[in-house]
Amino acid sequence: MTARGTPSRFLKSVLQNGVGRYVCQLKRISIIFSKKGQGSLGIRDFIEEGVVDYAKKNPTTVVYVSPQPCRIPKIVAEYMNGTVREEIVTNKTSPQISELLAKMTNQSGLDIIRIRKPFHTDSPSIQGQWHPFTNRPPSIDPIRPKKEDSQ
Amino acid sequence: MSSFSRSAQQWATFARSWFLIDARMQPPGRIATMCAVRLQGKHKPIYHALSDIGDHVVVINTRHIAFSGNKWEQKVYSSHSGFPGGFKQVTAAQLHQKDPKAIVKLAVYGMLPRNLLRRTMMQRLHIFPDDELPDDIRANLTEELPQPREIPRKLSEYTQEEIDAFPRLWTPPEDFRMK
Repeated sequence: MTARGTPSRFLKSVLQNGVGRYVCQLKRISIIFSKKGQGSLGIRDFIEEGVVDYAKKNPTTVVYVSPQPCRIPKIVAEYMNGTVREEIVTNKTSPQISELLAKMTNQSGLDIIRIRKPFHTDSPSIQGQWHPFTNRPPSIDPIRPKKEDSQ
Repeated sequence: MSSFSRSAQQWATFARSWFLIDARMQPPGRIATMCAVRLQGKHKPIYHALSDIGDHVVVINTRHIAFSGNKWEQKVYSSHSGFPGGFKQVTAAQLHQKDPKAIVKLAVYGMLPRNLLRRTMMQRLHIFPDDELPDDIRANLTEELPQPREIPRKLSEYTQEEIDAFPRLWTPPEDFRMK
């Protein structure tokens, strides 16, 4: 399929998040793993080392740790806008999982689809973006029709 | 560095300005060129054909526009109502007599691109026959554009010293009779 046929959206943030105060959009996270399984080794390590730190660092996110007899351990993230995203963490090491959790915490919960006009720069302008008053001669008085012309 | 935060900066970037143009003694075509550029937003560095970033333009004193040559008599505005025999032709002078806003409006409309945004851009053009503006429009104005044509002064606007100081090719004799 060509890129034009895929769903797309413009770059945006949820409810202008970040204009005033930033609100973390991740509402709830459940870590589902097996107590015995081979694939859950890394996530068990993570629960031992990092999950309490993570929960302390993110007081707005609820963290559930649920051991279940399962073959495939996964992390289920629920966002404020209702999106539920599952990430499978089979055979992942503890640092990889904490990296993944940090990524999921920073996401807004919007669909990850093609962005229209993905303009990006690594060296943003020092002067700041253009706006209608850049390079415009300053006027002291309010603008209005000149009265002396109307003779 | 600007004084806004990053997001307010973006709102400032996409804000619409209101331009004021005084059409007194100006050729309508040149007024229309200035209007058409600003209505489309082509004067902005962020211009893109798909984003609707045109500005508002307020044209005042359209009653006092100035055509050059004999356009007032010879320029013809034609229209057809669609009915048999509905073809109408009026000269610029007749049209201006009927509606002092029509000539500038038609000139701008002809210069805008023929697409779906054309009517929207025309809605952002505010034409006033005199220099009286409603208060809500007057409060929005952000910049007055310079007139494209320098208005020539009438003889009555020169002082006597300036008239006397004007270099003369030939001094009429005492008994010269003016025609």
